[in-house]
Amino acid sequence: MKGEVILRVEGLWKYFGDVIALRNINLEVLKGELLVLLGPSGSGKSTLLRIIAGLEKPTKGKVYMDSEDITDLPPYKRDTSMVFQSLALFPNMTVYDNVAYGLKIRGVPKDEIDKRVDEILDLVKIRELKNRRVTKLSGGQRQRVAIARSLILNPSILLLDEPLGALDLKLRKELHVELKRLHEEVGNTWIFVTHDQEEALTLADRIGIMNNGRLEQVGDKWDLYEKPATRFVAEFIGETNLIDGKVVEVGDKYIVVDWMGEKIYAPVLENIDRGMNVSISIRPENISVSFRPKSVGEGVNIYEGEVVDELFKGSYVIYYVKIRNGQVIRATVLSKDADFDVGNKVYIYWRFDKGVTIID
Amino acid sequence: MSNKLLDRILYKYLIRRLGYYLGNLPGIIYILLLFYAPIAILFVISLTPPHKYIVIWEFTPINYFKVFTEATYYRILLNTFMIVSVATILLIIVAYPIAYYLARIAPNIGDRLLLFTIIPVEVNYLIRIYAWRVILGENGFLNSLLISMGLIHKPLTIFFYSWFAVVIVIIHEYLPYVVVPFYLNLRGIPNEIYEAAMDLGASKLQILRTITLPLSKPGLLSVVFIVFIPTLGEFAIPSLVGGQTGLMIGNLIDRYLSQFNLAIGATLSFFLLLFSIIISLIMIRLFGYEALYAR
Repeated sequence: MKGEVILRVEGLWKYFGDVIALRNINLEVLKGELLVLLGPSGSGKSTLLRIIAGLEKPTKGKVYMDSEDITDLPPYKRDTSMVFQSLALFPNMTVYDNVAYGLKIRGVPKDEIDKRVDEILDLVKIRELKNRRVTKLSGGQRQRVAIARSLILNPSILLLDEPLGALDLKLRKELHVELKRLHEEVGNTWIFVTHDQEEALTLADRIGIMNNGRLEQVGDKWDLYEKPATRFVAEFIGETNLIDGKVVEVGDKYIVVDWMGEKIYAPVLENIDRGMNVSISIRPENISVSFRPKSVGEGVNIYEGEVVDELFKGSYVIYYVKIRNGQVIRATVLSKDADFDVGNKVYIYWRFDKGVTIID
Repeated sequence: MSNKLLDRILYKYLIRRLGYYLGNLPGIIYILLLFYAPIAILFVISLTPPHKYIVIWEFTPINYFKVFTEATYYRILLNTFMIVSVATILLIIVAYPIAYYLARIAPNIGDRLLLFTIIPVEVNYLIRIYAWRVILGENGFLNSLLISMGLIHKPLTIFFYSWFAVVIVIIHEYLPYVVVPFYLNLRGIPNEIYEAAMDLGASKLQILRTITLPLSKPGLLSVVFIVFIPTLGEFAIPSLVGGQTGLMIGNLIDRYLSQFNLAIGATLSFFLLLFSIIISLIMIRLFGYEALYAR
């Protein structure tokens, strides 16, 4: 059951007038997973979610659920339920009435509704608030009501559009743990939209990174961190040094890139040729810093430079090292090994396979 | 120790309190002098025996008994209440769909279209009433139209100098004041609320019944305060188009005050005020204070 594709989005385009909100989105969502769509505001992630919910029609492309084409189905005929950014609780109703709404509309008998509401409120741990008006609840409580209102319909896919956006950091962190637990207990598929990188890394089984209407890369967090497919992904998840240059030599294992007069070794890719422009992403923690050059063999990038700045971060220190071609590279060193000062001459080095070659 | 405590109590309960009241004094005086003093004078005069031109300084509740026992008074009071109630209900029935259309169905152009409902207000109030005399009069537009269509043979009299005419003209005069509060009310309901209801499976009609109408209560409250209560004191419309069946309490007050029978005029005015206050309190009791300000 798990691991099957439950939802497939194919060649999706969305225009709002002249503005392109989505450009050729292709995405497969697996049964039971928690997929996070991560991207800056305006990247199209909410639009994608609204198209999956049926609240928006795509300009081009198809949405399939369990291999059935649902592109033209209205929201209430889809086995999805949406938790909105504003939560959209019905202010004229109590917690009970809000949560029971979907069942009441469907004409479910009263005693069955009562039973289901109690179950769901137990699940989100707000049973004692059952008869409270939703306008009298705190942010975190409202959050739970919104999720309960959607979950009560047993949707195959729960869609969440930045539902924690309005809450403070501490509460968000508490709710992350709570949401993770809920997802595991309910066991359905969740698609969660956020612009918060940390939220994505905490919650996600897999993350889809969106930028400027494109789905740049989908994968688990380690994939995204260690093998970013685009410059945007490399920069968006974690810290990185992005080095641009031209390929001058293609070897079996590595390529040699000219980086403003310096040679740099990077992993070889398929379809790479001499003369191509590439970017190399190298994470600061993969760069070593020392006073003396260490002989470290073939395929190692080693540069002499000067520490121009340092940033103490508690358990580690970020050094800004300016090398001979004038470029500044960031390298992190654990605080216990951080013996360098601004103005010191140092060597920075890393093996080519610590870097990632990106063709954009 | 006890001295210190005494000082604190003095400070907390006396000096601070005093400062609080003193600071608000100009406002309090202003309100008392300009709003409550006239009402008090009105009440005092209403307790004097009815007499033309002069106020006799004896006090008796006789005027209030008259309001309830003399048919002229209580029939007109009842008539006023009926006219205003029917007009308000019809106004809501006419205005709500307009507001709903502007706010929900054509939201992109709603603001501009709303202007068209407001523009007629720019035409002077009295001129608009006179315009209705031309339409509703015995040889007016409406009768001529019906005769030329062959539907009637001689002019109908129910259109003019009647209960009917007063209701029609009130509806016309006050329509913008009902559309606008409902429009603002409906515009204030976030779109995501409707989307959530739709996502949970509600049809358009179910959304209207379970979400939109219940959330329109603040608009309804505004309408009661902006239209129902002020219209109770309406007197230009019934004077110009009302005739005998369309008489309202405003006409009665006008008649007694222009005859300088201040006692009866004051009694009727005070009675109208009391009635308005009672209705306001009932509305607030039904909908809560918050509904006055919040959506």
